Amino acid sequence: MANFFPRWTNLLPLKIAVCLAALGTAVVAGFAYYATPKAQRVGYQPSQPIPYDHELHVNQLGLDCRYCHSFVEHSGHANVPTANVCWNCHQHVAKGSPKLAALRSAMGVNEDHQELTGEAGEGHPIEWVRVHRAPDYVYFDHSAHVNRGVSCVSCHGNVNHMRVVWHDKSHSMGFCLDCHRAPENHLRPLEEVYNLDYIAEDYLKENKILDKDGNRITTQLDFGMHLKEHWNIRPKESCTTCHR
Amino acid sequence: MSKRIWQHPDIPASEQGTEVWRSVGELENTPQFRTWMEREFPAGTAEMDEEEREMSRRNFVKLMGASSALAGLTLASCRRPEAYIVPYKQGPEWIIPGKPLFYATSMPRSEGAVPLVVTTHEGRPTKLEPNRTHPNGGGTDAFTQASVLDLYAPSRSRDILKNGEEASREEFVAAMTEVAKGSGKIGFVFGEDDSPTRARMVGELGTAFSEAKFYRYEPLAGEGRKKALDGAFGADGAEVVADFSKAQRILSLDADFASLDQQGEVGPFFKGRQGGGDDYSHEVAADKMNRLYVVETAFSMTGGLADHRLRATPSEIFRFAAEIAIRVNLKAQDAQLQKILADIDPLVYEKSAERDDTWKREWINACAEDLWDNKGQAMVLAGRRHSEGLHRLVTSLNFALEAYGDNKPLRPVKTGREGLGSIEALATDLESGAVETLILLTPANPVYDAPSDLRFGELLKKAKNSVHLGLRTDATAWASTWHVPAAHYLESWSDSRTAQGTYCLVQPMILPLFGGLSELELLSQLLAWKEAKAEEAAPALITGEDAEGGPSPAYLEVRKTVAAIAGEGEDAWKEALKNGFVADSAYKTIDLGAGIRLDEEKTAAAVAAALFLTPALIENLELSFATDGSVYDGRYIDNGWLQEAPDPISKICWDNAALVSPRTAKALGVYEQITQLQPESKIFGVENGPKPEIGEGRDANAPFITIKVGAQTLEIPVVVAFGHADNCITVSLGYGQGATDGRQGAPKLDKDKPTVGLVGRNTGFNAYPLRTSATSLFVTGVTTAGAGGKRYPMAFTQEHHAMYGRALAREISTNDVKHKSFEEQLANVRKQGMDSHAPDNISLYLPKGSSNFQKDEAKVENLISDKIHQWGMTIDLNTCMGCNACLVACQAENNIPIVGKEQVAMGREMHWIRMDRYFAAPKFERDGHGHVKKEKIDGKEVEKVAPEWVRDNPELIPQPVACVQCEAAPCETVCPVNATVHTEEGLNTMAYNRCIGTRYCANNCPYKARRFNFFDYNKRNPLIDHNLYKGPAGKKQVGEAPHLQRNPNVSVRMRGVMEKCTYCVQRLEGAKIKRKQVQRSKSLAAAGGSKSVDVSVEDLRVKTDSVKTACQDACPAEAISFGNLLDTNSRVFRAKYFNEKENGSWKPKPRNYDLLNYVGTIPRTSYLARVKNPNEKMPDAKYAGQATIHMT
Repeated sequence: MANFFPRWTNLLPLKIAVCLAALGTAVVAGFAYYATPKAQRVGYQPSQPIPYDHELHVNQLGLDCRYCHSFVEHSGHANVPTANVCWNCHQHVAKGSPKLAALRSAMGVNEDHQELTGEAGEGHPIEWVRVHRAPDYVYFDHSAHVNRGVSCVSCHGNVNHMRVVWHDKSHSMGFCLDCHRAPENHLRPLEEVYNLDYIAEDYLKENKILDKDGNRITTQLDFGMHLKEHWNIRPKESCTTCHR
Repeated sequence: MSKRIWQHPDIPASEQGTEVWRSVGELENTPQFRTWMEREFPAGTAEMDEEEREMSRRNFVKLMGASSALAGLTLASCRRPEAYIVPYKQGPEWIIPGKPLFYATSMPRSEGAVPLVVTTHEGRPTKLEPNRTHPNGGGTDAFTQASVLDLYAPSRSRDILKNGEEASREEFVAAMTEVAKGSGKIGFVFGEDDSPTRARMVGELGTAFSEAKFYRYEPLAGEGRKKALDGAFGADGAEVVADFSKAQRILSLDADFASLDQQGEVGPFFKGRQGGGDDYSHEVAADKMNRLYVVETAFSMTGGLADHRLRATPSEIFRFAAEIAIRVNLKAQDAQLQKILADIDPLVYEKSAERDDTWKREWINACAEDLWDNKGQAMVLAGRRHSEGLHRLVTSLNFALEAYGDNKPLRPVKTGREGLGSIEALATDLESGAVETLILLTPANPVYDAPSDLRFGELLKKAKNSVHLGLRTDATAWASTWHVPAAHYLESWSDSRTAQGTYCLVQPMILPLFGGLSELELLSQLLAWKEAKAEEAAPALITGEDAEGGPSPAYLEVRKTVAAIAGEGEDAWKEALKNGFVADSAYKTIDLGAGIRLDEEKTAAAVAAALFLTPALIENLELSFATDGSVYDGRYIDNGWLQEAPDPISKICWDNAALVSPRTAKALGVYEQITQLQPESKIFGVENGPKPEIGEGRDANAPFITIKVGAQTLEIPVVVAFGHADNCITVSLGYGQGATDGRQGAPKLDKDKPTVGLVGRNTGFNAYPLRTSATSLFVTGVTTAGAGGKRYPMAFTQEHHAMYGRALAREISTNDVKHKSFEEQLANVRKQGMDSHAPDNISLYLPKGSSNFQKDEAKVENLISDKIHQWGMTIDLNTCMGCNACLVACQAENNIPIVGKEQVAMGREMHWIRMDRYFAAPKFERDGHGHVKKEKIDGKEVEKVAPEWVRDNPELIPQPVACVQCEAAPCETVCPVNATVHTEEGLNTMAYNRCIGTRYCANNCPYKARRFNFFDYNKRNPLIDHNLYKGPAGKKQVGEAPHLQRNPNVSVRMRGVMEKCTYCVQRLEGAKIKRKQVQRSKSLAAAGGSKSVDVSVEDLRVKTDSVKTACQDACPAEAISFGNLLDTNSRVFRAKYFNEKENGSWKPKPRNYDLLNYVGTIPRTSYLARVKNPNEKMPDAKYAGQATIHMT
């Protein structure tokens, strides 16, 4: 019987296997890299109807987070300000700026801040593009975190330095669990929760805090452990903590 | 491979002798029932057959291949969809995004308003809870819970109709202006609720329109009672309100006062059932417990609670009332009462008594004696729709028992419902032309539900103009000249009074969704239109708010009333609005002054009439028209939650049926047909093909019978009802409002003028045509005939999710049973059903909790166990009546979909709480101590079979079962993907997104508490034929109004996901998060700021009993306790444990037991045994209190 397969085919199965393995690894690695929240979400930076500048308002003008996100301490939902909150200042400041067209339209006024009539006078609410979006089966509660010493910066990054807000952290379930397993890495005094430039070491230099043995605490980790114990913080990892 | 069947322990010999069953199938032990019992779902339910499948596997793969290829082409352009956050322009006051707001309001009802607190999410009312700060606020029923769905019903009327055609608001205003300026012969028909503002406006309307006439009408109100009470208390609109806290002995003559025929606040009745131990601070005290006697035709929820229950046809009930009245009145030695009896020859009533068996006479004598012995603390209640004669008798009885007065069990009061005529008066006035324009404001549907002898549909045409204000376009809407969409009570300003008369406000939660007009708005605008100048256009129609956003005229009218009742000024108004009621505004008691004002002659006539009634026979049946537990009088026919909630007694969903006792069914020759559920059958005359495999729920059906009342006939399926009176048929009212399948019992649905929506279409059979003014409750001389072997598909849930095991529901008696005193029986509760032989369960989550856990603390620390909260629940079977309020409340809170009749029949209903309902009857005769009697037959000693009257009168025991949150949960160990796991706080949780739908967990659940989403019930409308089976091609219901009702704090589950009770975990988490605010307030107060603050366990612990589950909150009997087991002050702790340790664990309360304790699941939900309080002189006393449920 003739030899159907030439000699070079002897290694063919091995080659195919190697190629398939490489392809498989590439698919898995590619998926892990590109299709997870880390790649999908981080860096998302849509343009907004009003190019609101957190850097300007927070860092330069010194507005507190809670001036606009006023219910963050009370509600699960950190609200985006209603148009009339913006209007508190902007009826006086930056009048007629083309950037504020959407705000004026919401308030039902023209460029000279004269009230419009008819449908235009009723105003059209501002449609902010959502940057951070938890899936609908996740019930994240802002008040539960900010009232327990977790700062905005832990999940949202240094928004105070963002001229246009982007998605800074992955917000994947692993991201949440990392902190729920080791909250000491993030805990800080409640007074510093809205201070996004807080550095634990600097704070501890200014404030003398002693641990159980009477030694001065100098690091975030030790400070976090200290607060965790005093505040009775035991974050849950069970499903219903976030999924209901 | 067959399923491994758990070998339950034997039933202890001492507990044998009671026969227990749920359904006729179980009683007869049909193969179909066995299948239900042994499988999670019956055969075929979990698979799709060829017919159901719209697409073959091959086609599916082809399509999938093509679509994924296409998807590949377009993947490059696939981007994250943009989502928006749209904040308010002007932030409304009070609204915090993400937090609900609560408003006090009330639901106007004919039997008295229900005070409510409404949860609204960003302006959407989503959930109703009872207003517990209200003096009469305590629990709600299923109707109240479901009424929020009515607000969003897709079938709600949206357009003004003129003669069935759409018309504009201007046309309506023009027509009404003409009426207002015309002859003034206007007839107003109101509902039976008492609205003070409306009562005031009736006066104003009477002045403005001198010819105007006012009526009140609801089909189930009961004219006889009104006449009897008005006569006895000499006041128009007199009413008698029961105060159960004052009653030790209660005799109910067909009055379902706990549920469908409420005659006063029911909360105190259930407190009375607990014998003073309603907060579990001490055990039920036998001497403080009330005793309930019930004489009724078909089982009601009140009847299920009875200590002694007697089955009787409606006419027999009248005779029993007379018998008891005679016995009590003779003892009363009151001149007037004696006079009533004077004319009747004592021989006559002795003769009447002779008609009864000895045991019945003993029953009546003992009952009358017990009532008399508790004079001043006893009351007799009669069904609202019984005859005037019976109510006169009952009034004389209550006078004799000294039940009337302040601080007495019954309080005669004068309501605001005065000067209102009946529907008969309206019929006369329409006939004579005294009423030219009829304005129908009643929630009833008179064209459909008025007594058939009035021929209301034809009468309505005699009116020149008729205006119907209604939520639905029902039969009356299409028959009237004008139909105006009504505002729901959650959309309108109004007011009402509770049964006790406390003034309640009704305030809108939302502007009318579909431009509905409220009753008060129409009345006040009618006056405005009358005043409008002829040359000017009449003011435009205002619904909700006027064109400038100003308040509705109804608001102004209500404010006037509040000013009159609570005082002038803004503060009084705000206080009333905040509370939802005005304190101390209850009805005044009618001063009885000179004493009894009984009409002697009429009462004597009633006694005589009662004694000479001919008894019902099999060839001369009685037909009783019952109030329906799902659709009430028919008004809730388009409410999917109520339709799908199984009837509490018959367990029928989506339909009604003729109920007959087993004995009558046998006599009529239909029993065989009923038990044989799956013959080769004809459904609507169509051959049903080959005989289906035994055990398939989808083929459950019932035979038709034809009921003949005079010339009227009704073809209706017949089912067996246990505990029903013999020679009598019960049909509930309200069903059969429109059908497309040609059934005889419902009008053909006109596509252009539909009288019901998708929900109510093809449901049930209409019994109203058989009912006349004279036969409001029952009719005699009824005959039946077969209906040609036709059968009707039914959706019963009684065999679904059937549990088996020992001592599921336990019962004890305050009397000695088998020489065991009440205390001994109490101590034995936890040992029933061989539980004394099972080893103690060891709790993993309660280190020092329910059991004998005695490990050292260091090891305890290793367990995942929260030290702040451990949740637990108890359900008290002593007060649970099985009314479905919890079931519907759970549906509202947890976004549970309805699945439609077909799916229910297959056992796919989604209710997280299942209301089990057991019947239990003694099998063997017992001696005075409760021991089984023996007799010798053929030389062998065998148990003596109990007499028929005992076996025919079973006890009814309801038992709600939801997930019991086992600490050692069998479901968790079998989940391949860890989708169901335990929390540190003892909850057995479901992570829907992990669930892949293997259903192993449900299969492994001994309580059968898990529900599987076989289809995307939330997204696809299950009520359209075959819609669910069309997959993506099916019609969606997303974005329709009912979706506005959804609770935003609970995930809406999709297809292929398992779900079950979560203990309302969203509420628990919310309450816990709220406590975290403590840290902020402490930090603000502390001098050193947050870093110097310590947060303790107590700070973080949810305040005692401040978080309630939806079922617990809704329960009118407060049978459900829920809370933190680590908080020794909580109600649930008191219900489960004594506040003392025994071997290092909390000592358990005697009445508290775990369901299927011997399986070792360590459930967190436990049950409290039922206590019966029988009268030992009663003939059936020796059988009472032994109905412990063992299912095999």
